[in-house]
Amino acid sequence: MYMEVEFWGQTFKVNMIIGLIGSFLLAIVASMMGFGGGPFMMPLMSVVLGLPMYLVVGSSLLAIFFNTAMSSMRHYQFGNFDLTFFLMMFPAAILGGFIAPQIAKRISPLTVKRVAVVGLLLLALNLFGVY
Amino acid sequence: MSRKRAIISTVMLCLVLASYYVPMGTAQDKAAAPAVAAPAAPGTPAAAAPAPQAGGTITLTVDKQAIDNGGDLKVSGKAAPGSQVYLEVYNDNKVRAVYFDDRKPDENTPPPYKLYLTHDMPAFYQICIPKDKAEALSKVPGSGPKFQYSQVLKDLGADVAYNAPAKIDIDAFKASIMASIIGSRGDLMPKLDAPETKRRSMQLTKARFRNKGKLLAPIVETAADGAFTAMVKIPTGSAPGKYTIVAYAGKDKSAPATIDNKIAFPVMYLENAGTSLNVFWPFLLTLVIAVFGVLIGAGGGFIMNPVLLALFPTLPHTIVAGTVTPTVLFSQGSGVYNYSKIKFISWKLGIILGLAMAAGGFIGPKLTELISIEQYKFVFGWILLVLAALLFWQTTPGYIAKNKKEQAILKEFKKRAEESAKS
Repeated sequence: MYMEVEFWGQTFKVNMIIGLIGSFLLAIVASMMGFGGGPFMMPLMSVVLGLPMYLVVGSSLLAIFFNTAMSSMRHYQFGNFDLTFFLMMFPAAILGGFIAPQIAKRISPLTVKRVAVVGLLLLALNLFGVY
Repeated sequence: MSRKRAIISTVMLCLVLASYYVPMGTAQDKAAAPAVAAPAAPGTPAAAAPAPQAGGTITLTVDKQAIDNGGDLKVSGKAAPGSQVYLEVYNDNKVRAVYFDDRKPDENTPPPYKLYLTHDMPAFYQICIPKDKAEALSKVPGSGPKFQYSQVLKDLGADVAYNAPAKIDIDAFKASIMASIIGSRGDLMPKLDAPETKRRSMQLTKARFRNKGKLLAPIVETAADGAFTAMVKIPTGSAPGKYTIVAYAGKDKSAPATIDNKIAFPVMYLENAGTSLNVFWPFLLTLVIAVFGVLIGAGGGFIMNPVLLALFPTLPHTIVAGTVTPTVLFSQGSGVYNYSKIKFISWKLGIILGLAMAAGGFIGPKLTELISIEQYKFVFGWILLVLAALLFWQTTPGYIAKNKKEQAILKEFKKRAEESAKS
């Protein structure tokens, strides 16, 4: 049930039952909705499994990469993939990855998160059809 | 370490390849689907006879030959005096439509759990009904499970004009829990007969276009002598190519009139989505959201999907989900690569959790086509609320104090990792 993970000279005990079931369920929802699952995987590993941040950042990304790779293939298989649409968005996603770190140096992450909270609430209300 | 990485990439490759070899029924293959063009069924004389019927032929003219990325068409003509005229407007481009039947026929019968799939749905479809039916139409619920397309067509007398999608090729699958788990659509059922095809095609049409505003337009004005006019609106962002307009009145029909909808770069047609978009909008949107996503520490897919659905209501949610996923794949891949260069990944933990996630990712995309857009939006709304709560928690003082320590440790470890990678 517990697995030992060694990372940079330290050993951590990870509850694999919670970890496996949690990431499995998360992956179903994430791939069904069409996103990676990063912001949920991070709290799962850091808060629920109690792992330190420096172990979580890289490893959660690797786990999510598995999910995204698999679900991309499956979506393609089911004909949910539109090449033209993909080519419109893909360069922008890459470009965004280069621009973001430049902006991140200049603004406080706290402000960004507060803006995001409001934005996400508005978006959620829009999806519920409130306005 | 490089051997480890080789093993991992092999495992990933095997997973991906394996997903291709799972039995899938036969119809998901696009190349195979259009091979059987449904011939006009000889049993239905009223709709199938293209030859004008003597005596009652309706005349029909359209004021334009071509429009530029949507536009208004003035349709006029003459039918028999006192008749109710309906116009059927459809596009030549074909798109995919799916409908999952999980409704109980009555209290005691279990739900059928059948999946209907077609690749022949017109990318644009509308029936124009007489103006005096506007009030009856406004009483019909707009979308969602309460909008019964077939019933509405019948009530408004518009079923006489429902012809283009009535004979499309439909594949029916019997879904089961087991099939869902291994990720197949289930067993392909025998070919549907003509009335069943028509019935299911209406459900598919509704599933594809969703709301009544797109499917029905109360715009046909008919005078007492049978002369009629209508302003048919082809919205901006509709599929390009040939549009066919046919007028119906009772058992009479007109010869089809065709017009051409032209689009030019930067507007491009999304073949699978069945709509066209200005290239720059998704580009700008993705750029802004990708930057914002990195800043809040999320991939961006979270915000991308609902924003796309809100801004481009013509896009199907399956296409949005299926196309946004691969766009984040590469940034994640480069992230994994960068971390692996400085050995900042616990391969053991990442792979074991990753395999569980891959199993989930195998099942999830199948569910996308089983749920309706309303259910998709509902679930996504809750996901966003949870995410907002998580982010809010990250702005509380307690978290910040704890996070500062964590971040300091993270930085320290990262520095060490980078240094050891260099030496």
